[in-house]
Amino acid sequence: MDFLFEVVGDALNSLSGFGVELRRVIGLTLVVSVLATAFGVVIGVPLGAWIALGRTKARTAWLVAVNIGMGMPPVLAGLALLLLLWDTGPLGQLELLFSPTAMVAAQTLLAIPIAAGVTAGAVKGLPSAASEQLAALSLPGWQKGRVALVEVWPGVLAAVAAAFGRVVSEVGAVLVVGGNIVGETRVLTTAIVQETRRANFGEALALGIVLILLAGAVNGFLTWMQLRNARHD
Amino acid sequence: MIELFELRFPSDGSVLAVEGLEVRSGERLVVFGPNGAGKSTLLRLLAGTLPGGPALDSTYLPQRPYLFRGSAGFNMGLGLSAEEASRARHLADRLGIGEVLEYEASSLSGGEAQRVAIARAMARQQPWVLLDEPLSAQDEQDRMRIAAVIIEELGDRGAVIITHDREEAAVLGDRLAVLVNGRLLQEGSVDEVFSLPASDLVATAVGIGNVIDGEVVAGEGPLTSLLAGGMNIWGLGDVQPGHPGRALFGAESVTLFRGREGAAGSARNRWVGTVTELRQLGRLVEVVIDAGNRVVALVTPGSQEVLQLGPGANVTLTVKATAVRVNPR
Repeated sequence: MDFLFEVVGDALNSLSGFGVELRRVIGLTLVVSVLATAFGVVIGVPLGAWIALGRTKARTAWLVAVNIGMGMPPVLAGLALLLLLWDTGPLGQLELLFSPTAMVAAQTLLAIPIAAGVTAGAVKGLPSAASEQLAALSLPGWQKGRVALVEVWPGVLAAVAAAFGRVVSEVGAVLVVGGNIVGETRVLTTAIVQETRRANFGEALALGIVLILLAGAVNGFLTWMQLRNARHD
Repeated sequence: MIELFELRFPSDGSVLAVEGLEVRSGERLVVFGPNGAGKSTLLRLLAGTLPGGPALDSTYLPQRPYLFRGSAGFNMGLGLSAEEASRARHLADRLGIGEVLEYEASSLSGGEAQRVAIARAMARQQPWVLLDEPLSAQDEQDRMRIAAVIIEELGDRGAVIITHDREEAAVLGDRLAVLVNGRLLQEGSVDEVFSLPASDLVATAVGIGNVIDGEVVAGEGPLTSLLAGGMNIWGLGDVQPGHPGRALFGAESVTLFRGREGAAGSARNRWVGTVTELRQLGRLVEVVIDAGNRVVALVTPGSQEVLQLGPGANVTLTVKATAVRVNPR
């Protein structure tokens, strides 16, 4: 037990000495996660609505792809992107490897299927009367999608929350394409891995607490939005 | 324009198998039948919201209109051009929902929500209009007024209207198609189908009908005479004497006279009986009479008063033979 008390004590000490490096890590974590979530949502939410608002072979194929993507190990997404961005790889001349841009790209790949899958589930969950009414309206496809998404607004917020939760807590992909370079590509999760491997448990736990507070704050905000938007009938 | 369809759903026809559904421009076809008969499936095939149908160039009111988040007015304008939207607003005033358009859709009553959907659907000028139970959520006192607006807005377009209500069918329909268990059992003018159901399935489906079993005792040209419980019933039919038969006639085909003498007339069928029961049925009164068999007649509240119909009253019943169908059993 003494060991655990010692670790927690160390963690609280680290937190009180809120250094420049920690602030940088938190800042990069926020920027990368928020950007990846935003890109993932912008692509994934309409994709999910499209998948759910019709029954064609193409949509079914996409649904399968999305479901596979939702369960894809992040480290594999990172590896795939690493191979593309490697010096001699197809996109090597972009020189993006080990940059925050590459990290955002990797996490966007992870966020898209989550956002699409949760959105598709929400839209498919519309009452049958709503789906029939949508089909009966003479609206172009994108407008049907918009009406459906507004109707399942709390479900779309759940998609945003799930996507953010996925990317902010993810370590494999950012580690592979980012490289955990101090001051450049180090984020909270990769820093935790680093400190744990050095047996700096107090430091690692402190970073973990920050990560949880961060994720909790963002998801708390989304939950509040969800409740505010819930239909009162 | 006349269109003829064969409609099946799913492809094996287990839910719906209709051969030769005829829809015509300028005519209102009412599809009538009990719950689960496949009426909505038929309409959805015509509208194209179910795969495998003709998907007419139509405006379509689903059975349970659904309003999305936003104001009633926003919902009414969904998918409408500027010109259609202005027509919808005009319709909304006539349907008595002009004042609720600014309200949040979820605060509307079921009847108001349905009227928003009616205004939206009727504002579009497609050549075909498909309405699934358009008056189902309306109060008794509003239904006929809204029906009148619908009929006026239809103009010379073709319409397919679904209902399971006799009065609505009579008001909204020119022609009536009876659908039971996914099969089209009878098609004809509303009066014809209601007063002369082609089979006991149709008679049951169209509601208050008289179904009397007996034995066929005579034939005379197109007419057949059936003896049942002391009643001699003449009707159209082709059953050989000596065989069991079933007489079918609508409750509105029965004319009632007070007393046991009745009035002279051309009606072939004339029976006497005693009123056993009276029931309010919408705006009409259903009179149950024991005339050897249980016979149901429909009268207006006015007639009920004039005839002083009450339980125990003696009445004479007449029915034209051409309003009775005698089928083999």
